[in-house]
Amino acid sequence: MTTVRIIAWNTFREAVRDRVLYNLVFFALLMMVAAILVGQISIGIERLIIVNLGLTAISLFGVVMAIFIGVGLVYKEMERRTLYALLTKPILRWHFIVGKFAGLGLTLLVNTAFMTAGLFLALYYVTRTLSLADFQILTAVYFILLQLSLLTALALLLSCFATPIVSLVCSLGLFIVGSFSQDIRAFGEMSQTPWMEGFATTVYYLLPNFGAFNVIAGVAHGKTVPVALILDNTLYALLYIVAALLSAVAIFSNRNLK
Amino acid sequence: MTLLVRAGSRARPIILAVVTIPVLFAAMVPLSQRIEARIAELEPGKDVLNVASPKLIRQMSLGYHGLMADIYWTRVVQYYGGKRRDQDANFPLLEPLLDITVTLDPHFLAAYKFGAMFLAEPPPKGAGRPEAAVKLIRRAIDANPGDWRLWHDLGFIYYWDLKDYQKASEAYAEGARNPRARDWMKVMAARIAQEGGTRQTSQFLWLQVRDSTSDPSIRKNAEGHLMGLKAEEDAERLKPLVDEFHRRTGRWPSATSELVAAGLLRRVPADPAGFPYGVDQEGKITLHAKSPVSSPLLPKPGAPTWALPGK
Repeated sequence: MTTVRIIAWNTFREAVRDRVLYNLVFFALLMMVAAILVGQISIGIERLIIVNLGLTAISLFGVVMAIFIGVGLVYKEMERRTLYALLTKPILRWHFIVGKFAGLGLTLLVNTAFMTAGLFLALYYVTRTLSLADFQILTAVYFILLQLSLLTALALLLSCFATPIVSLVCSLGLFIVGSFSQDIRAFGEMSQTPWMEGFATTVYYLLPNFGAFNVIAGVAHGKTVPVALILDNTLYALLYIVAALLSAVAIFSNRNLK
Repeated sequence: MTLLVRAGSRARPIILAVVTIPVLFAAMVPLSQRIEARIAELEPGKDVLNVASPKLIRQMSLGYHGLMADIYWTRVVQYYGGKRRDQDANFPLLEPLLDITVTLDPHFLAAYKFGAMFLAEPPPKGAGRPEAAVKLIRRAIDANPGDWRLWHDLGFIYYWDLKDYQKASEAYAEGARNPRARDWMKVMAARIAQEGGTRQTSQFLWLQVRDSTSDPSIRKNAEGHLMGLKAEEDAERLKPLVDEFHRRTGRWPSATSELVAAGLLRRVPADPAGFPYGVDQEGKITLHAKSPVSSPLLPKPGAPTWALPGK
């Protein structure tokens, strides 16, 4: 496990070195502008706007990072030929995959943590108070992190066999389709054709259900997310991530690196 | 030997993945179902319109408003279909969703035509808001002045749903002025002005709807209405026989088979779908509970009754 930890730490350091966390500056600016403007352009829905805007920005910034960094994780190492030097050491290929995943996960965690702190500051600036209900936002942030971890695992899987541009398009496509997967199922149900319904249901279960992690609107309205949903979503993300990483390890282990 | 060991170590992850991944996905199915149910509990309001301003959506679509209109139209269809499936007769978002769709693409004729149909049909088939349907079709005419069929759609709503025969006749007459309009538009204008709402006129109009569409759902709907009109015609013919039975026996027949036994009919009369007509306790002709035929004039014992919201 030490090997995995070292690879993860180095992946995080590399991301920091690449000025990936500069997006926090944009986020901070966005929150500051929103906090100042929101009081002037809206009446009574300041909190709603700040929470919606903040959580959406956290999600979108994270998605962009997970996809853009995730698709290059393996390919970049191969192109720079640093992978060959790395694999001469006593490192198994699954160590490399899991380490890379954990490293990007850590980057996203740190990034999200800073953005969440920024969101709470903006919220405090606008409402001049923080109630217990405001901490429901943390549930939405946790769901965003689960979503990002799942997306990272998929981007990493794609980067094991495809070029960055193909991986990027596919990851983005998976994210978009996965966000509307319930609609695919609904279409199947409405077609009233048994084979179409069966096909749509199969696609629905195979695709990652990113929509299930989106509780932003509910949380913005102060709704409490049930503990059972938190547990189920955690387990779902965990199972999907394991499946994606297993596939990535299987592909990467059999890849001819010569 | 070394090669064999290497091959074995490379095959191991594949075997593990092939065995484990299906198990993981199988475990995810009940989990997904649970999550779906919990999300539905958390956000029961499927009826949520995220952005209420069609103009704002048009600006936000960055020039891709054609595609956005298509997406919104699929939302309309899903919304309408979902409500029909759930037998929910309230369609509060139908009009705003249609508004967004046609603002994004003012030439989206299918959205106007189907949308007006969804709006005008009485519950449970539609929202029961013919005034909103008229508004939508008038928008369609403003945006697409060359399409004479839209005048037919407008006239049809006035005739069938609003029973405003003068306006229906005016709409057909206006549409007939288009040089491309079919001759029967003039005939309809004159006929409605002269006769108002007769069954023959209604049958002619529904026949036009059935024969002029390539869409199976519109055709099916038109055929449903034609069957309803045929059933009304049959009921009108049966009523004197039922009255005759009452005159002879002093009671109403419990079924149309009694009319056959009394020698008033040769065989049990059936509606256009093949189900036998019935007779209620007041001597009115009724439709069979399982019959797909429906008519506002013919009761159907055991069928649910619908009320418009707020009425």
